[in-house]
Amino acid sequence: MVGTPFLVFLVSALLIICVFAGVAVSTRQPRHVEYARAQRLRGLFFLSLAAILVVFLVLTLPRLPYPVEAATSPGRIVHAVGKQYAWSLTDGTGPTLANWDTAFSPSITVPANTQVEFRVTTLDVNHGFSLYAPDGHLVAQTQAMPGYMNRLRVTFDRPGTYTVLCLEFCGMSHHRMRGVVEVR
Amino acid sequence: MTLVAEPVAVDTYTPRLVRLTFTWVLTALVLFPVLAVLGFLMRVLQAGFLASVPPEWFYAVMTLHGLGMVGLWFVAGMAGISVLLARYVRPTLAVSWIAYGATLAGVLLLLAATLIGRLGVGWYFLYPLPFHSGGTWPGWATASLFAALAIMGVGWTLWAGDLLWAIARRYGLSEALGWQYLRGTGTPEVPPIIIIATVSFIGVLAGLVAAVVVLALVAFEQFTTGFTNDALLIKNLTFYFGHMLVNITMYFGVAMVYEIMPAYTAKPWKSNALVAASWNLVLFLVMFAYLHHLYMDFAQPEWLQVTGQLASYLISVPAAVVTIFSTLVLVYGSETKWKLPSLMLYLGVMGWAIGGVAAVIDSTVAVNSRFHNTLWVPAHFHTYYVMGVVLMILGAVFHLATELSRVSESLASTRAIVTTVGIGGYGFLLMFYLAGVAGVPRRYANYPVEAAQGIFYAKLSLIFIAVLLAGALIYIWETGRRCVRALAV
Repeated sequence: MVGTPFLVFLVSALLIICVFAGVAVSTRQPRHVEYARAQRLRGLFFLSLAAILVVFLVLTLPRLPYPVEAATSPGRIVHAVGKQYAWSLTDGTGPTLANWDTAFSPSITVPANTQVEFRVTTLDVNHGFSLYAPDGHLVAQTQAMPGYMNRLRVTFDRPGTYTVLCLEFCGMSHHRMRGVVEVR
Repeated sequence: MTLVAEPVAVDTYTPRLVRLTFTWVLTALVLFPVLAVLGFLMRVLQAGFLASVPPEWFYAVMTLHGLGMVGLWFVAGMAGISVLLARYVRPTLAVSWIAYGATLAGVLLLLAATLIGRLGVGWYFLYPLPFHSGGTWPGWATASLFAALAIMGVGWTLWAGDLLWAIARRYGLSEALGWQYLRGTGTPEVPPIIIIATVSFIGVLAGLVAAVVVLALVAFEQFTTGFTNDALLIKNLTFYFGHMLVNITMYFGVAMVYEIMPAYTAKPWKSNALVAASWNLVLFLVMFAYLHHLYMDFAQPEWLQVTGQLASYLISVPAAVVTIFSTLVLVYGSETKWKLPSLMLYLGVMGWAIGGVAAVIDSTVAVNSRFHNTLWVPAHFHTYYVMGVVLMILGAVFHLATELSRVSESLASTRAIVTTVGIGGYGFLLMFYLAGVAGVPRRYANYPVEAAQGIFYAKLSLIFIAVLLAGALIYIWETGRRCVRALAV
């Protein structure tokens, strides 16, 4: 999924560089530029850009990651609770500050090909709940916010060990904060 | 090719104004390499070198680098635009000195908080992190951070307010916003810099109001019992402020392009209905575009998320179709004199365009799921910062420094600067983009095995940053000596 956006970026960047280079080179041979012609070209550029933006809006707005409450119920619910500096992953309600040491669980097992709903929150600061596949690519993410619960729905189509990393800077061990989701 | 220099009124650059401007510039030229080296140090640590350095130092350096650079280019933009505005309006120089003092005080407090206190909250100090140090930094460091923000905020509010007042005194607000062009009369004529500056100062003040509200709410929680702030509200306000500050800095640079580029192209760049419509549209849309920072906050109402994507997409249109296209039309086939200022201004517009494309891509909600808080984020903002607004502002500064010192440009230095900054800059950025595509998280002191590619890209980036820094140092030397000469003249 990241391949297409990156390709769009690369092509656009190269196009921009070529245009800027070409225009700069044109100054070696000064010429008269007709204002009306430039305005027509501007109009064409505007229509092209507008069309591209509309196409991407139409293609991407239906693919929002926010769960629709009225849709099908998830096959499994996992409570993901972040706290400086660990993720707790449990079936039932997650740990609180008071019982963290006893109720905390760093890993959980979920079935493949089943929609899993991660109910994500935090006991202290903002964290970023993210799932990395065994091959290292980022599958999905949502923020863990104090006082809020965010629902992230994921269907794992491949079994394996998925890592939960923190994607919102949360303090000195932000880079060590992890959890494990085993998909079987 | 001949250079048709825009005639400057003899009394525009008074000794007082020159002294003020070059005080700002020389301060910026000292802070810039220091903050840049801090960024280099971050990549050194991420590359796995100096492994004995505890991670809390990475995060303290990261906080200083981020806050420092955002603040630096904001004040450099303000200083640059205010000296160019002196051609048209009369701001109060004393207010700029107050802002200078406030900025210095803020810098000292931040240096203490981060380098002594090891404050590591990141540049946008996302609530409630400043109050959850986990024993890493003391309470006085958090207090210093908020004191610095408050002091600088007051100074910058006075400064932006004074500049806006100076514009309004001469033109009136609606004419400063170019509404006469929208009405079809076109008179009185206002130069583009006035329209852009007016839009920018309104934006600055709006952003600073949000910062005041954040500081007030956070202080209220700290000094009362039984009240906890709503994290989503604070997040909205924080990102509104941060986004506004960064975007307005961008617009300062763009205003400098409008004002100075014509001196090198021998073609004027005047306001018209298109320029007025474009910048008034920007003023409206920039109030909503910040929402793209909260896409991964699923608690945010969905209609706000969609608004964020719409505003972020739309705001690219005036930038691309008016400013960037007009830059190209201005230059195309003209007798442009390619000196260091015109090269930097032109390349700055190009960098803004490239970074803008990456930003619009990331502002697509469905894409943001995979790019948010990966290295794609620093990739795109460093693009329109380092290779965008920084080039624009430094190009403008060199133009002024050369004009006022009357020290002519060295072709060898110009070639060296453009080559090293171009190769080093885009190379260092490419490493960020590639790492972002690979899903490497941002703001990691070092990389776990799942993000091991981050180490590889960090190592490569060091070579490019070294090249970039070499170019920056040549620039600083050339500009610094001209500033000193201009002060002596």
